[in-house]
Amino acid sequence: MYEFAPQITPIIDHIIDSVRSFRPELAISIAFIGTIFCSLFIDKYWKQSSFSSFLIGIVAAGYLTYTQNVENLPVFFDMLRVDSFSQYARIIILFGVAIIGLYIQQYGSYQLPKKRLGDIYAILLATTLGLHLLTLTTHWIMAFIAVEMVSIGSYVLVAYFAQNKKESEAAMKYVLFGSTCAAFMLYGLSLLYGFTGSLDFTSIAQMKGMIAAPTILSTLALLFVFVGIGFKLGFVPFHVWTPDVYEGAPTPITAFLATVPKVGAIVLFSRLILAWTASPFYFGEVTLHFLCFVAIVTMLIGNLVALRQQNIKRLMAYSSVGHTGFLLLAVLSYVHHEPEVLFFYLSTYILMNLAVFGFIMILEKQTGSANLPDYSGQGKRFPILFTALTFAGISLVGLPPTSGFVAKLLVFTSIFDLYQTVDQSLYLYLLIVGVLTSVISLFYYLKIPMYGFLRQTTPSKPADGVATNSHIVYGFALFFTLLLLLFGLFPDLLLDFFRQP
Amino acid sequence: MIPITHFLAVSACIFCIGLYAVVSKRNAIMILVGIELMINAAILNLVAFGRYDRAEYGGQVFALFAIVLAAAAVAVGLSIILMAYRKYKTINPDQITDLRD
Repeated sequence: MYEFAPQITPIIDHIIDSVRSFRPELAISIAFIGTIFCSLFIDKYWKQSSFSSFLIGIVAAGYLTYTQNVENLPVFFDMLRVDSFSQYARIIILFGVAIIGLYIQQYGSYQLPKKRLGDIYAILLATTLGLHLLTLTTHWIMAFIAVEMVSIGSYVLVAYFAQNKKESEAAMKYVLFGSTCAAFMLYGLSLLYGFTGSLDFTSIAQMKGMIAAPTILSTLALLFVFVGIGFKLGFVPFHVWTPDVYEGAPTPITAFLATVPKVGAIVLFSRLILAWTASPFYFGEVTLHFLCFVAIVTMLIGNLVALRQQNIKRLMAYSSVGHTGFLLLAVLSYVHHEPEVLFFYLSTYILMNLAVFGFIMILEKQTGSANLPDYSGQGKRFPILFTALTFAGISLVGLPPTSGFVAKLLVFTSIFDLYQTVDQSLYLYLLIVGVLTSVISLFYYLKIPMYGFLRQTTPSKPADGVATNSHIVYGFALFFTLLLLLFGLFPDLLLDFFRQP
Repeated sequence: MIPITHFLAVSACIFCIGLYAVVSKRNAIMILVGIELMINAAILNLVAFGRYDRAEYGGQVFALFAIVLAAAAVAVGLSIILMAYRKYKTINPDQITDLRD
């Protein structure tokens, strides 16, 4: 006890200094408490108070993140790594969360006008805090806490609106699958800790320990750890939950699951890959080969299985699995010092998904269904909506003049450069599979306008008499589609933002 | 002093028992119990390895956090299973299959 006494002052000084770099997360925490308070006491008088508190918290966190001083200082004894990489990722996350909060508010106002929504914003904020920590850390304790924060928050989000059988089934599958993956990850981490005696995956002790450890056991530990990250990212073979959960969850929650958790997980994964592939030892090779193999299989399975889907949310689930494969390619380009490629892909991916899920929300409200055959002939009823949805689909395929094209072009160029410098046939296979699956994806994304415009109208039931409008969701979705076109024509607008140091 | 291999062997056994409970699914509560066993195996590992880390006590701290997070996850899991039971009148995952390709 007494040996700490002379050191206690510098330790306290360090902690107080660290709080300054932690301000965005503190803003979220305060907003979290404020939102709970509002939902308990003020929602009775003013229904939107908890939503306002949520939005203020997100905007404040966004401002603090944007103006944050990123000097790579040691924060909280190197538990957190505040750098520009995490800054961009956190801005993207906060943007996505703000839009999803808005979608949830609109969805709640026309779908469940009686239900109290205050708590869901609080949970969304807690999940955002977990995502922030995920982008900030290189320490396994912090990473595991962040993964669990995001997971537990997501379980509650999926279950929160559950009114029918499908929704509760989705929540149950999600929680059982997710907890199992977390348990695998924890066991892998305990083995890693045993081999190395260190819990920071960028530290030299961890490298040395991994080199000294027996090959089979350390490979096993690595694979166990990747189970946990793979669940959050949704790459094959840990993607099996995605279609069921995406179909069963309410559409704004699906939009959440498809977008922001992937940003957090991919940032953690990139840091991990960067730290481990930098060393010329066998586990660097193992990680790299694992990454390439998983990317190939993920792109193939995601895009091939999507071909035979008839439910638009299931289709988007497999599409997001396919896009995870492309994100893994973008991680490779990050490892070779082009972070703006990764961020361009991430922000485009988020814009595309937010636009598409906004449109799905409106279609679901108007036709009462998420099955593609029910949209037959609806293109004449909603011409603007289906045209915009077609553009978003084109962007998801990766055709010009949308930013999906630029994103894929950047990724493929950087992989091709890699192939020419390193001359490993692995990268060539990655490239071939990437291009091939992009072509395949054309078939299923264009199914949506095919049903909308070319099929005859089925005698559909009229729109159910919900009077409240959803102009805000519609407006935002159209705005995102316009942004996709804008960034497709002028990609430098976005790239320059990510390039500034 | 008990050698560390004994701890590792016990924890590997517990992990495999938990995994078996998860894979041979008949009852969602039993799956949660299995998950809990897997997490406890990992915690046992962490504490056992933590004996050699007298400088930072990383393993012990990690074990404490893991216990708290496992409790939170199980609380959410139980409430979701209860909700599914109200809709389906069963918690056998093999019979809860409305969502499938």
